[in-house]
Amino acid sequence: MPSLQFSFLIDRLSAFFILLVSVVSVAVAIYSVHYVEHGTHDGRKNLIVSFMNIFIASMVLVIASSTMFSFLFFWEIMALSSFLLVMTDFEKKETGKAGMFYFVMTQLSTVFLLFAFLFIYNATGTFDIQQIRASPLVTSVAFVFLFVGFGIKAGIIPFHKWLPYAHPASPSNISALMSGVMIKVAVYGLVRFVLLMPMELWWGILILVAGTVSAILGVIYALKEHDIKRLLAYHSIENIGIILIGFGLYVIFALSGLQAVATLALIGALFHTLNHAIFKSLLFMTSGSLVNATETRNIEDMGGLIKRMPYTALLFLVGAVSISALPPFNGFVSELMIFQAFFQSAFLGNPALEMLLIASLAVFALTSALAAACFVKAFGITFLALPRSEEAKKAKESPKLMLIGPAILASLCVALGVFSFQIFGILGFSFPIPNMLLIGSLLTGLFVFAWLGLRTTAMKKERIAETWGCGITSQNSKMEYTASGFSEPIVTILKSIFRTQKKSERTYFDNEKVIFKSGKAEIHLMKFFEERLYLPVANFVRKVSLIVNNLQRGDVDLHVAYAFATIVVFLLIIWWFA
Amino acid sequence: MNITLLLYGLLNVLFVLFASPLFISLIKKVKAYAQKRKGPPLLQTYYNLAKLMKKETIYSENASWIMRITPLVNIAALLVASLFVPLIVIPQPTDLVGNVILFLYLLALAKFFMALSGLDAGSTFGGMGSSREMAISALIEPVIIVVFAALAFAFKTINIPDMFREALTSNVLVNPVLILISTSIFIVIIVESSRVPVDNPETHLELTMIHEAMILEQSGKNLAMMELSNAMKQLLLMGILINILFPWGLTTEFTATSILISVGAFLIKAVIVAVIIGLFESSCAKSRLFRLPGLFGLALFLSIVTLIIEVFA
Repeated sequence: MPSLQFSFLIDRLSAFFILLVSVVSVAVAIYSVHYVEHGTHDGRKNLIVSFMNIFIASMVLVIASSTMFSFLFFWEIMALSSFLLVMTDFEKKETGKAGMFYFVMTQLSTVFLLFAFLFIYNATGTFDIQQIRASPLVTSVAFVFLFVGFGIKAGIIPFHKWLPYAHPASPSNISALMSGVMIKVAVYGLVRFVLLMPMELWWGILILVAGTVSAILGVIYALKEHDIKRLLAYHSIENIGIILIGFGLYVIFALSGLQAVATLALIGALFHTLNHAIFKSLLFMTSGSLVNATETRNIEDMGGLIKRMPYTALLFLVGAVSISALPPFNGFVSELMIFQAFFQSAFLGNPALEMLLIASLAVFALTSALAAACFVKAFGITFLALPRSEEAKKAKESPKLMLIGPAILASLCVALGVFSFQIFGILGFSFPIPNMLLIGSLLTGLFVFAWLGLRTTAMKKERIAETWGCGITSQNSKMEYTASGFSEPIVTILKSIFRTQKKSERTYFDNEKVIFKSGKAEIHLMKFFEERLYLPVANFVRKVSLIVNNLQRGDVDLHVAYAFATIVVFLLIIWWFA
Repeated sequence: MNITLLLYGLLNVLFVLFASPLFISLIKKVKAYAQKRKGPPLLQTYYNLAKLMKKETIYSENASWIMRITPLVNIAALLVASLFVPLIVIPQPTDLVGNVILFLYLLALAKFFMALSGLDAGSTFGGMGSSREMAISALIEPVIIVVFAALAFAFKTINIPDMFREALTSNVLVNPVLILISTSIFIVIIVESSRVPVDNPETHLELTMIHEAMILEQSGKNLAMMELSNAMKQLLLMGILINILFPWGLTTEFTATSILISVGAFLIKAVIVAVIIGLFESSCAKSRLFRLPGLFGLALFLSIVTLIIEVFA
């Protein structure tokens, strides 16, 4: 087979993604040296390390591939090695379910890609990625298959369900790689193929709408999570949504002839891809340290860790500020670029399209603000105030290498934000974005100025005292605000999305219902996609397979009868047509 | 970075810094008159700040360095943000300051740390304030962004000083778009400066409070910084409304007379807006937290109607 060959090509796009994979992998590798020591089985530690290297290599090779065959080959290696890594703690029931979920979804993604590639091959006669020249019908069908295939891997809603299962179940260094890097490989695939094919406007609209829905639902689901790693997994869905919003804007603006805005949106989307890879891996690694130190993933059992793990707290804070898109860090700059592209939609000249963009802009703004709210919760409940459990009280700072790995990424978060204007200048882009070096230095300068000013002019006396609590004598951690309490206003306001059901039962001592005896209250949040989409599909498949199962009883006579019946049917067909 | 830009920056920041506390007490005065009280003197907020600077600072034993840096982050962010909204002189066109999105996110940076410090001391009030503040600010965010997108559509720029210059040179008051949009901006001012019916700036111990609950554990010089940055934020948002709707008197020249006229004109306009805010606050009751999305929905509706008019006009 001459066309089934491995060949590689590295251009600016693939070089950028290889850089992304490599930078994050280096940091994760440094972190992993001490992290894997936390495990108990020696053999398993060796397996994690070796599969991790296969996983990283396969991601680089997917990106470098220049034929669809080698792309798919390494894509599958990437899927299998990551599956094995997810299954590291296979004894746990939760891990088994997560692994199964992930395996089915990732294979489904491969199937869709395979369809798309075979479809393109059928039309063009070559597997070479650079030579996709086909009729609009062929490319449109291929685009839909590619979008679903890459969408599953990237975690676009409604194909997102594997993320919140697989990330909490796998070791934290693996979550950092999967969430930080692997889902970006899917973004690479989508960008690569869409850029090579003749784009159409509805592709852009589809990408934009899918991105907007993923962004807002991702952050809304993240708000109600108290499992730190599942919270981060939902934020990955949100950020993939933001990346797709940027990419969708690129397609729309490019087809409307506004090339400068289109470039801004595309570079914004790619920059956000890099930024998300960096701060999400940072957050996953630091949360891995938290889980190791406190033996729990539930943030309701943490608290007060800023005093026990000061460096981890600082690193997590840098990640939280970056993901909340606050200046002058990197997450802000890429979201700013996408916002600025949105603000240019008045020049599209198509009222319907402009209204769509405005609606998407409003949702995007809401997403960004909710993300900040969610990270106030994540950082505040985890690190601040008093510890909420014995384990949290005894938590110890992580070993050195588990701090150095995230520290590399944290400094990149700052550097990529502050020097963004200069970096784009060197790369030859001149965007009308603010010079963050100026803003960053002004912020730091005025911070120091205000500090010095207060030191010299204000009263110096300071006192440490108890938190004021309306006259209570001693304060304990039960009086602190909880994570569920924190997100309660938003959950109540958005109850139609969460499908919240509040149930309460009360019993009373007297008939007038005055003296309260006991009560029970529960809040149930519906897993919408799981209950309404995944389970019905799974149940349907199970029903069909039960029917098929009935046909196939392993009885030889029955199978002979089937063979006979088939031959008769074929003979009848031939006779009919002849 | 030329000399006039530097001069503009200094002038604007100092003006915001020193004028902003005045409007806090002015609104209090208006509300007092509406209730047939005499109210505090106009300079009361200055006296309060001076008093706080002389008091000792008390930190909770549970609190961490987040509590200590929050006032500094707040004041630094607001000082940088005051470079973005020219109140007296519009500087020469520049890319260095004025980006509207950066302006909004500098305010968000201040709010993020303020909400963290609310959780820091482990008090129930602080957590309640942070939780509510973040919920409200998340819900008002789409309104703010759509309002500014509508302004960007109308003025064809995303730079705040350029918007003001455009408003100054073209006759805009006849434009219905800006009247609609100023209603939305007014609601944004009410929400962002924590006023009735969203929040009640008068109370300290009620369960209705939001902003005040968050800074309950701040004291001394730190509390002074928090109050000052809150006053600055209010003046900056008022400045956006004023200079877009009534830009008269605003100058583009650096001469002593034009600056004096401009300062006078701005003070008069800001006093009028502050009186309107005070009367508005006096005329409505604090609404329930979960009724607020209705108000935000109204503001969002108005700003989207504005955009629809702009798109189809």
